[in-house]
Amino acid sequence: MASAPDTPVRTRTRAIGDLALAACVIMGASILFIGASSLPPPRFEPLGSAAMPRILGAILIALAVTVAARAILTLARSSNQGSREAAIQLPHRGIIVFALLVAYIAALDFARVPFAIATTLFVMCAGMTMHQISVRSALVHCALGLVLSLSIDYIFSTYLFVRIG
Amino acid sequence: MLEAFQQLFEFQNILLLVIGTGLGIVVGAIPGLTASMLIALTLPLTFHMDPVGAVTLLIGEYVGGISGGLITAVLLRMPGTPASIVTTFDGYPMAQKNKAERALALAITASVVGGVLSWFFLAGMSPTLARFALQFGPWEYFTLVLMALVMLAVLAQGSLAKGLLAAALGMAFALPGIDSSIGQARLTFGSDTLLSGFGLLPVLIGAFAISQILRDASAPPIKKSIEAPKQRLPIYASDIRKHGPNMVRSSIIGTWIGLLPGIGANIAALVSYSTTKQLSREPEKFGSGHEPGVVAGEAANNASIGGALIPLITMGIPGSVTEAILIGALTIHNLQPGPLLFQNAPDIAYGIIAAYLIANLIMLLMMWSAVKYIAQVVNIPRSALLSVILVFCVVGSYAVNSNFADVWVMVGFGVIGLGLEAARVPLGPFVIGFVLSPIAEEQLRASLMMTDGDVSAILQRPYALLFLVVSVLTVFWPAIMARLSNKARSTA
Repeated sequence: MASAPDTPVRTRTRAIGDLALAACVIMGASILFIGASSLPPPRFEPLGSAAMPRILGAILIALAVTVAARAILTLARSSNQGSREAAIQLPHRGIIVFALLVAYIAALDFARVPFAIATTLFVMCAGMTMHQISVRSALVHCALGLVLSLSIDYIFSTYLFVRIG
Repeated sequence: MLEAFQQLFEFQNILLLVIGTGLGIVVGAIPGLTASMLIALTLPLTFHMDPVGAVTLLIGEYVGGISGGLITAVLLRMPGTPASIVTTFDGYPMAQKNKAERALALAITASVVGGVLSWFFLAGMSPTLARFALQFGPWEYFTLVLMALVMLAVLAQGSLAKGLLAAALGMAFALPGIDSSIGQARLTFGSDTLLSGFGLLPVLIGAFAISQILRDASAPPIKKSIEAPKQRLPIYASDIRKHGPNMVRSSIIGTWIGLLPGIGANIAALVSYSTTKQLSREPEKFGSGHEPGVVAGEAANNASIGGALIPLITMGIPGSVTEAILIGALTIHNLQPGPLLFQNAPDIAYGIIAAYLIANLIMLLMMWSAVKYIAQVVNIPRSALLSVILVFCVVGSYAVNSNFADVWVMVGFGVIGLGLEAARVPLGPFVIGFVLSPIAEEQLRASLMMTDGDVSAILQRPYALLFLVVSVLTVFWPAIMARLSNKARSTA
């Protein structure tokens, strides 16, 4: 699949993304060091429990610094170039589907909504978001969700002895 | 081996193999859905199966998933799986010239020949290689895992630093939980949920399936509707002479590339395609609907599965994400892939080998007889398909421990997967780092215990030293090559 051509805005956005990635990785590595500091020193073996988190923490920081250094160089190079292009469009449908997924799991976990009801509603809403908002679409996805939820519930509870929700 | 075939032909196992291969073909035919996603989603269902049945189902899905991609590659110019990209080069132009049936016939035949030839390598090499690997100690295993991770990270698309970062991040996420060496909680920060660490299945489903579905949900719908083949698939006796050498050569290329960690079926197909083009008397015809192009790609991509299964069952080293998931499946059934698998669970080791051969034959029968019906699955609305898969993701993660914490872990790793992909960090090394981290740590600690912390002991272990040298060379190879080519350019 061909990727979109590198424009100055895209290059800058990617460089900023790389800086954000490096920052997140350094934070994650710090958590490894903090966690490792509370572990006892090795007793029966030379390496001990804290060694691996420390080794990986150090590797992650070194790699994050490399990524960040490259991103800074890219930003410095592209700072003089034009910036009138449109920003990259956010994938709205993906975000809505993700929000629906979180709501669906929360409904099952915290609100204890019955599996069949929650699943039917989720499939209907997610399906309409990805397809189109219309009565026909709602009915089709609702029917699909109902059949799916009842089938899964039956198979899991009868054969796998798992009750969902 | 004979016993493995006998066991495979028991009604339940053969049924699972048929179901797995069929599911794999259907999922492989749908652009955006992959064999690894299918295997990850099916894994919870295998908990209650016997290990042979579970492995049979998953191998069927793997073979079907890689082969199914050829249908849309030929008919729509959209590879159902990345492994079929090369098939679009000549398969689709053939379809445009009203030769869709011929392209499909050649692609299916080449896939099966690739699969069957690589099976001979798998069946012939695996027991011997496993016996050889029995000589390996902790140093060899640690450096072997290191080599596999480094190769995966370096060969992944994108920058070297990001590939290595992905592998290290994956390894870091495997650290929380009880440290099995001393039985003490590590990096749990007082959370009881973290005592058992992040489960393999929620991590796999989150990182691969959720992030893929959310990306697909944002993608514009497929406008083209598929036109199924109308006539029978034509294949002739003269094709043996015409395409036989190409099929054999491409299958061997595919098998050997499959053996190397991190390269994968798509690169195997590309290498085989370019080799066939270079050796051809009519290289200018490639890309315009030339039959050898279709044969080369499909024989190699299917053969790479057989190649990739060799290090998986003999040494427990996954070559790709799909193999990492297969390792997870074996681990869930308390089986450790590696040389001891042939001794401790020969039914599983030989079962994998037998299932791989039979899955290829089932794939041939299914594709040959039902390709026009399978092709129609592309016309199923994506909204319905993705919604249903999301429900399966939730149910699959929950079913592991009947616990919603796993479902939230899946969502978390879905976000991490999306974030990493947005930052162009490859997910393959991330997931394989997660799977291999416990093995790497265990072997390193065992090595150092054996030598009282003396790292120089590695110098007395030739294989370990070899793996270490290969790892170091792999990391620095791009820089060495760049320097050499600069030098050559300046001298010229």
